[in-house]
Amino acid sequence: MAEISFNLPDLGEGLIDAKVLEWLVSVGDYVERGAPIVEVETTKSALELPSPRAGTVARLHAEEDEDIKVGDPLITFEVPDDSAGIVGTVPQQDAEPKRRVRVQLPDDED
Amino acid sequence: MTDAPTTAAPSTTLSMQAAINLALEHALAQDDRTLVFGEDVGKLGGVFRVTDGLQERFGADRVFDTPLAESAIMGMAVGLALHGFRPIPEIQFDGFSYPAMNQIITQLARMHYRTRGAAPMPVTLRLPSFGGIRSPEMHSESLEAIFAHVPGLKVASPSTPTDAYQLLRQSIADPDPVIFMEPKARYWNKAPFDAAMALADTPPIGSSRVVRPGKHVTLVAWGAMVSRCIRAAEFAAEDGVELEVLDLRWLKPIDAAGLAASVGRTRRAVVVHEAPLTAGLGAEVGTLITEQCFGTLRAPVQRVTGYDVPYPPGDLEDHYLPSTDRILSAVQRVLEYRRG
Repeated sequence: MAEISFNLPDLGEGLIDAKVLEWLVSVGDYVERGAPIVEVETTKSALELPSPRAGTVARLHAEEDEDIKVGDPLITFEVPDDSAGIVGTVPQQDAEPKRRVRVQLPDDED
Repeated sequence: MTDAPTTAAPSTTLSMQAAINLALEHALAQDDRTLVFGEDVGKLGGVFRVTDGLQERFGADRVFDTPLAESAIMGMAVGLALHGFRPIPEIQFDGFSYPAMNQIITQLARMHYRTRGAAPMPVTLRLPSFGGIRSPEMHSESLEAIFAHVPGLKVASPSTPTDAYQLLRQSIADPDPVIFMEPKARYWNKAPFDAAMALADTPPIGSSRVVRPGKHVTLVAWGAMVSRCIRAAEFAAEDGVELEVLDLRWLKPIDAAGLAASVGRTRRAVVVHEAPLTAGLGAEVGTLITEQCFGTLRAPVQRVTGYDVPYPPGDLEDHYLPSTDRILSAVQRVLEYRRG
């Protein structure tokens, strides 16, 4: 297994930190990409952050009510070694193709 | 034998990624002038885990991370080769080789000529290549025709774990620069593997391989398209049509005699590649076949390729890459062709 960490992303509008209001996942949970993982509060608003990838939560890097800075570690996922590539999805095996075209030998084939 | 397998038992099953890792491990163990470097190949072990564990075993002097600068990676490879090293640089993705083209074409490819043979360039550029992994832009390019067109470069692309091991060991041992195009889409596909036997059975540089015998039409392919052609051949067999599949393996030099031998038997040929159609390597293959087999050919050589557009976003790549249906349609065209 490999680990992949993500930092608190730039939330825009010049904000430099955020407070963790509530974790929506726990260590050991399997999370789909895009699922909400945490609710944070900035000086502007409260918002839910989506998971940047699928994986099993290995560590949460802040307690609830704790402030973290943009760029500091937020969450670490444990992922299978063979899905640890940072770009794209390498298939484990070939998808079975649908077949529509038939072939036929010519009548005079020797 | 210093390069005996250490991490894989004989007669085991291995993915291509693991077979390439093993080839690098054995090459590093065999010759301490061998160096592996590139973006993320050291500490991380490569974005596809191809260099996993090599820095731990051989140290950061021989397996190391470089800055994010492909021209520097290839310039460094040229300099190290001039000083007697045997560099194995990695450029992380096919599309990232564009910034390194100047070093590859104006230095790496011609140093041996420029120095009248005094400075060989035993450099193997590992280039994860081709599509099929739902990647963003610049991560799925098929550049074999560009590299094959440059005098001084050799180009290889494996289709199986055993093939990857053989071709990579052979490329590293060769005194000339080799562009080693790894089909990313095949990295985790497993197949039976025996390193010692693979090494002993390695065919000469420039050899193709008939991976499925047949008598009616020859399919010529390389990289990830080989398995797709085998699948098409299985489909055709259901209709009583026997397709021979020729894995080209070496894209330069091309096995002209191997093409002639196969198409001389089948009398029909279809070339399949991921790269766009126009001026692709399929044109070269088709010409080599026509030059040698004109008298026996029953139909013009057909090409099944990507389209003359930039490689599409991941969600559209199934429409771009040659499908088994497109391959079978071309097979039917050559089967029913009549001289008019």
